[in-house]
Amino acid sequence: MTDRYGFNRRRFLQGSAAVAGGLMLPASLLSACGDDNVSGSALTLARPDRPVTLPTAANPIAGGLAHEGGTLQILNWVDYLNPDTLARFEELYGVKTAVTTYDTEEIALNKLRSGAFQPDLIIGLTDSVLPRLVAADLLQPLNKSYLSNFNNVIAGLRDPYYDVGAQYTVPYIIYSTGIGYRADMDVDTSYFDSGNGWDILWDPAYSGRLGILDSYRDVIGSVLHRNGEDINTGDQKVLDAVLEDLREMAAATNPKIDILAYTEVPAGTRAVNQCWSGDMLLGVWYLPEDVDWNVLSYWQPDDMVTGNDFFCIPTKSARPVLAHEFTNFFLDVDNALENFGWTGYQPALEALPASTLIEWEYVPPNLENALITPEQYAAGKRAVALEPEVDNRWTDVWAAFNAG
Amino acid sequence: MSGLIRRNPWRRPVVLATWTWLYVAWMFVPVVIAFVFSFNGGRSRSVWQGFSLRWWTEDPNASFLHDESLHSALRNSLILAVLTMLISTPLGIALALGLARWRAKVAKGANWLMLVPLVTPEIVMGASLLLVFSNLYTGVPLGRPAQLLGHVTFSMSYVVVVSRGRLLAIGRDYEEAARDLGATAIQALRMVLLPLLAPAILASFVIVFAMSIDDFVISSFLSSGVASETVPVRIYSAVRTSSTPALNALASFLVFSSLFALALGMLGVSTYRKRRGADSDGESVLTEFANFDM
Amino acid sequence: MRKNEGQWLWGLLAAPGTIWLLLLFALPFYGLACVAFGEIDPIFRNAVAAWNPLEWRFENFGEVMGEILTGSLRRVFVRTFGYVLAAVVLSFLIGYPVAYYLARHAGRWRGLLLALMILPFWVNYLMRMLAWVNLLQVDGWATKAFSAFGFQYNFLDGKGITVILGLVYGYVPFLVLPLYASLERLDVRLLEAARDLGASPGHAFRMVTVPLSRPGMMAAGVIIALPMFGDYYTNDMLSRSPATEMIGNQVDFYLNGTTQPQKGAVLVLVLSAMLVVFMAYYLVTTMRMQRELQT
Repeated sequence: MTDRYGFNRRRFLQGSAAVAGGLMLPASLLSACGDDNVSGSALTLARPDRPVTLPTAANPIAGGLAHEGGTLQILNWVDYLNPDTLARFEELYGVKTAVTTYDTEEIALNKLRSGAFQPDLIIGLTDSVLPRLVAADLLQPLNKSYLSNFNNVIAGLRDPYYDVGAQYTVPYIIYSTGIGYRADMDVDTSYFDSGNGWDILWDPAYSGRLGILDSYRDVIGSVLHRNGEDINTGDQKVLDAVLEDLREMAAATNPKIDILAYTEVPAGTRAVNQCWSGDMLLGVWYLPEDVDWNVLSYWQPDDMVTGNDFFCIPTKSARPVLAHEFTNFFLDVDNALENFGWTGYQPALEALPASTLIEWEYVPPNLENALITPEQYAAGKRAVALEPEVDNRWTDVWAAFNAG
Repeated sequence: MSGLIRRNPWRRPVVLATWTWLYVAWMFVPVVIAFVFSFNGGRSRSVWQGFSLRWWTEDPNASFLHDESLHSALRNSLILAVLTMLISTPLGIALALGLARWRAKVAKGANWLMLVPLVTPEIVMGASLLLVFSNLYTGVPLGRPAQLLGHVTFSMSYVVVVSRGRLLAIGRDYEEAARDLGATAIQALRMVLLPLLAPAILASFVIVFAMSIDDFVISSFLSSGVASETVPVRIYSAVRTSSTPALNALASFLVFSSLFALALGMLGVSTYRKRRGADSDGESVLTEFANFDM
Repeated sequence: MRKNEGQWLWGLLAAPGTIWLLLLFALPFYGLACVAFGEIDPIFRNAVAAWNPLEWRFENFGEVMGEILTGSLRRVFVRTFGYVLAAVVLSFLIGYPVAYYLARHAGRWRGLLLALMILPFWVNYLMRMLAWVNLLQVDGWATKAFSAFGFQYNFLDGKGITVILGLVYGYVPFLVLPLYASLERLDVRLLEAARDLGASPGHAFRMVTVPLSRPGMMAAGVIIALPMFGDYYTNDMLSRSPATEMIGNQVDFYLNGTTQPQKGAVLVLVLSAMLVVFMAYYLVTTMRMQRELQT
């Protein structure tokens, strides 16, 4: 247990420095101890060094129930589940599945908050939106008795800082953010060798053949990373500088903004694209027939940003038992491996570290660096949930950039 | 309509004629090409890779025949269009009749209210409906119920405008004659006006159906998930992610459905005309009424 | 007295439609304002609608107006107006000759041509855009055709001209039909009189046809301009770049892609206010035409 006084003092000093630097923290955070439950009026935001036990507003479902039938409604990213694995699940449980996709986490959050869509299971969200989901009572606590494969999860993620005790979430995959490119499209790799890889996004030589992610956290975070700043900063001056940089980028390279790196780079319409680590592996499937799969390459900075996303089950899920079974199904090592073989995103399972996947030749040789070793994951920077006011500023920067 | 037009004797309008036919080609050739590409052998929607029925029937996962999400989009579009048609047309006809004959002060206000949706950009309507369904009418779930309400709202004014033209052409004479013969207002309405309006009613059905099928903004804003996606929403989201020529197949099928509906509508109108004999007046109808048992 | 006897009937008939429009068209406008001027929830940063006008808060409105007048949104508004203007002008250049031919010279082809003019309405707008997206891909037929003429151009690369042409392609059918209708109503005898008085065909066109068709032209122009202002999907399909961002895209972004719908609501209100002039013009001319038809 940390020294309460020492912890508070450190936190207070940090808080004062932050205030001096222009970052406003809600008063509750300055005095909070970090591993307390939170009242409904403010968000308690977890940090890697300040884990949070989320409040338990409701009880999990009872154990031992039979799973529901019908169609499991899943809210997920596009192309994020192997259709064959999905088909096997459907056959095994005698159900159907339907996937509604979202392009950004904010869109997913919106759909859930407005009640527009009532999924039975949500896949692919990260801890940046978790506090708001829990504060809005949108998630139900899990019943681990249905998750017999839970201990397959990487040890360090079984009790994550953003959800101590894994009450609401089960990790799905781990990923990093970097740049994907085709080696045969005259890409100047000296950027990557020198360690200033992000600068390639400003190089006019790639104008019209370059893309960035449609994700304000990842784009602004990468620019902050490039500028040597804290990737979770709320400092308005720093963010203004980021906006200037982004506008420079727009003028220099006219980037496309979407999550299509995995189709466009293989197709050759883009030479360089900011992407997540699984995109290039997924992109192998989208290469034209006559192109050697070794041309797809991935770069990430040495002090990379890593993260994981998770499964979670909405409070109003109509098929919670089936949702649990689905989660458990994908925690099985064989199923996860089959899933990975198609999606390219590394499962967050203990038995499938990068070295094993490489050994079993699940990835092309030149994409081995798209897998994340446990050491890299532990050392990686983390994009965490932002305070609402800070999040507002980030959204404003993003909107201003998008406005051209 | 035809009496005033004569051939221009001074110049053959070759340039204009060519321009017009080029315009027609420009309108249709891309769509025809898109239809042809739905038979493409490969995954590409822009490079021809041989003829194949892969995306219509053969591919076990992604073809039009097998991909359940495409079916659901098509079903949603058609069901929504039919329901909109059945609700919007009666409401619109009633509104048109009421506005044409009603002489209260309120009528003018109602007339303006009816006209404004015609000039409102769809995004304005979509945004306001989304916000109001999320904040006020929370009893109405987003998805098909909300989409239906939205579609009826924007299409009703078109029904009014279409029927109003016909109402003006019909005039009051037949109605007044019926009243003189002893009919009550309701009887005159039912037995004289409505049959005379039949072509406009049919035209309204067809127009509302087409507008509902084509609608994108309202369907997209008020959709709830993949279960309530319509074909335009599906095309839009698929174009922004990866997609196959099955999308072309879906879009083509929808076009054929709409054309089929249009053909049915026109068949209905010409059948009506044949049965009535006279060309769009109500004499035969009135004669029938005069024989009606009073 | 007999005439007023049936009045209750007409009122009754008009009631359902009127109430429907009140509840689902007029009231949502008010709801839009309530969200735009509402409270902001401190955790989620979204607007809580304030139904009582006395509780309306205008900070949001001020913020967005500031962005529009001096900030990033000004470029978006200017760009949108520019695109719409260019698209309307191009549509006229393309569509007026077609409407004119149809109205005056089509002869025996008229029925067929009219049917062909109406047909694009039955082809889904998005399918028509999809067709062009396919043709304009880097390996698409249109791009290849252009490069055969030595004209290398990546159309889908965030180019304003592509968006403008897309808008034209999408909306020009909506222009041709009303223009045709108004040109068709022109009294040919006036033209013949001009010719009899010695005017050349071009002169007669400029001095007689154009002025007479002006009301129809303005109405048709407004009919296609209004939806273009709110268009966002054409831009999204043909170009996904900040360089071509339109007002509709920003509205869509705020309403669907963030948890701050109030900014989107304010944008919609501002857009409506700007368009009200056009809308009112169109409505007034329509009412006038209606009255003329009735007498």
